[in-house]
Amino acid sequence: MTSWVRERLGAAGAPAMLEGGPSFAYVFGSVLVFLLVFEGLTGIALGMFYSPSTTDAWGSVAYLQDQTTWGWLVRGLHHHGGGAIVVVAGLHLVQTAVAGAYKKPRELVWWLGVLLLVLVVVWAVTGYVLRWDQEGYWANRVELGIAAGGPFGAQIQQVALGGNDHGNLSLTRFYGLHALLFPVLVGALGYLHVKVARRHGTTPVRANRTAPRFPDQAVRDAIACAVALAMLMGVVVAREGVELAAPADPSQSYDARPLWYFRWLFELRELAGSAEKLVALAAPAIVGGFLVALPLLDRGPSRRVRARLPWLGGLAGLLALIGALTMMSFARDANDGELAKRQERARAVAARARELAKTHGVPSSGGQDVWLAAPGARGRKVFADNCRGCHEDVERRAPLITAGHGDRAWMRDFLSDPSGDKFWGRTQLVVSQPLAEAWKDSWLEFLAPELSPMPAMNELDPADMDAVVELMYAQTGATDVDAAKRTAGVKVFGAVCSDCHELAFEVVGQGGPNLVGLGSRAYYFDFVGNPKHPLYMGPDRSFMPRFDAELSIEDRAAVADYLVWLRTATPQDLAALDGP
Amino acid sequence: MSDPDRRKFLSIATCAIGGGVGLVSVAPVLRVILDPAGKETVTSPSAPLDLGPAARFVAGEPPRRVEVIAPVVKDAWTAARGVVLGAAWVTRIGPRPGDVDARSAICPHLGCGVGYDPAQNNYLCPCHDSRFALSGDVLSGPSERGLDALPVSVSADGRLLLTWERYKIGQATKERA
Ligand code: FES
Repeated sequence: MTSWVRERLGAAGAPAMLEGGPSFAYVFGSVLVFLLVFEGLTGIALGMFYSPSTTDAWGSVAYLQDQTTWGWLVRGLHHHGGGAIVVVAGLHLVQTAVAGAYKKPRELVWWLGVLLLVLVVVWAVTGYVLRWDQEGYWANRVELGIAAGGPFGAQIQQVALGGNDHGNLSLTRFYGLHALLFPVLVGALGYLHVKVARRHGTTPVRANRTAPRFPDQAVRDAIACAVALAMLMGVVVAREGVELAAPADPSQSYDARPLWYFRWLFELRELAGSAEKLVALAAPAIVGGFLVALPLLDRGPSRRVRARLPWLGGLAGLLALIGALTMMSFARDANDGELAKRQERARAVAARARELAKTHGVPSSGGQDVWLAAPGARGRKVFADNCRGCHEDVERRAPLITAGHGDRAWMRDFLSDPSGDKFWGRTQLVVSQPLAEAWKDSWLEFLAPELSPMPAMNELDPADMDAVVELMYAQTGATDVDAAKRTAGVKVFGAVCSDCHELAFEVVGQGGPNLVGLGSRAYYFDFVGNPKHPLYMGPDRSFMPRFDAELSIEDRAAVADYLVWLRTATPQDLAALDGP
Repeated sequence: MSDPDRRKFLSIATCAIGGGVGLVSVAPVLRVILDPAGKETVTSPSAPLDLGPAARFVAGEPPRRVEVIAPVVKDAWTAARGVVLGAAWVTRIGPRPGDVDARSAICPHLGCGVGYDPAQNNYLCPCHDSRFALSGDVLSGPSERGLDALPVSVSADGRLLLTWERYKIGQATKERA
């Protein structure tokens, strides 16, 4: 069987040989190829969920992360797989350098390798922004800001962004770069790199020994790949994948941090102070320049480590510096208590955003509006901007409007003490009452405002109270109405309330508001539009301004929705709506 | 172990390890790609949708085409508002508010949008010329069944409510899709 396959594959001839015998030192290249293929595989899975537009990007990633089986795992593997590539590429580079494999005639292989390393790192940058969360968005702004400082910076920035600012074109572009251009580019250059390296063969340490690549080297490669995969899985599971921050929001500041393999540059910028612009571009140029120049500088024929100590020392020094800067950057963050607090808050915001996306979906206007997806949320926003000062804050001067507004308990409380602090207590209806009464019997009578606050109904027989509460509750449009009680309530209403109030459509009450549909969406919508309408408070009894010109129809409807929502909301629901 | 034996063992080991790595790599990817299978990723509302006052549908008038608009549709990650789900042809068939006939405008033949032909006062599907009477019955053409009736009701305040449903096309019996 094996021989049949080998024959068809044209592999039946002499097996490929490895000069100098197999070694674990040679596994890094194979592991890199494996990891790149692995990124391709996981990338395909991500691509089947991802939607590259400013309105959908975050939502699609949040969906994959929180609403699919193993979506978080694949996303985590893809993200940390990128980090693994940088690590293994670093090891590959060090191994090659130590072996002196960059020397004549292998310079081209080395240079291709350096180029590939740069490409892989830029490739990661193009992927980081795609999630369109605060993290990716702000990191990308900074990265492009750095790029803009370099030669042809403005042009590079415009081409990368697809115009003048972050938008739909930026995401489609970065997606195109990340998922189409870079795979092809790195694939082609990588193929060339391997092809040329194979032609040259290894730089054998032990002479006079040769072994077939398969299985002698292949088994080592396979073991290394297995170890790499196991470590990657371990990291991803231990870190529970990769975080997803709140949706990108240009109005909210965020402590953006670059991917960990850029941390050394990040720290260098911090240290450089006013010279940061120069440093941000010069440092990578120096490191890259050193790597490119290495085969030209270290030209001696000897590959012995001893003979090349200065050059290897230089490389080791650079790597140690990068390592130290990286650690310093993480240490700086770890020692920053304020930062920790802000990050804690950012995590809470992210958790809330994802929770909302999961339960209510992301509005089609985009991830930044995920806060408005919950029932009542749109109206809450309008209410907070327009109504809260009078109706909710400590120094309010109008009836309190909060969770439970309009439910049975609220109605009962109101009927028992309409002039209480929670109800008309702080309004002119009650506050100006003594004045009105004093004026009534004096020659100022004609000035006395017609303020008749509603009398308390606590003398009502409990059954009658129940009935009238049910009747009022039924006006809200609630579906859990006790029909018998409600019918009884109509009688009580006729006896007790109808002197002032009306329960027929469009009929103005004698001194009190019409109560048809009280607490329903339509009632709130109309009332908020014009509370001084004769059907409601009438022209003199309320200070509440009209909102029909003030608010758009959508906003007024949203407030009405919010008020209806309050009826069944708990204080916790309300707190949750305001978010962290 | 002799050299050929050792190589044989190593070959098997390489394939086994390589196969394992491949499996572990591919499994989560496949699992995620298959995730949407069998899931209701697009949820259209099962609650009846408001078509406006029932009184606007008048006896004797030609059928009215109404767009069926869902207030919210959850589409994977998006909660889209005001999504057009489809259209229905509505006619009044009796004096009571609820005496209204609503037919899905989706042709039962192969799913094109059915139009109204004022010249003959009946429905005509532009794709393969199926013709339907105002009652919904097939008059001519390839459709194997008449236009699908949609459940309607009237709310307490006189608004016509319609439950949007889709039915399988290309068969003689009406069956929920
Ligand atoms: S789809 Fe309507 S006739 Fe074929």
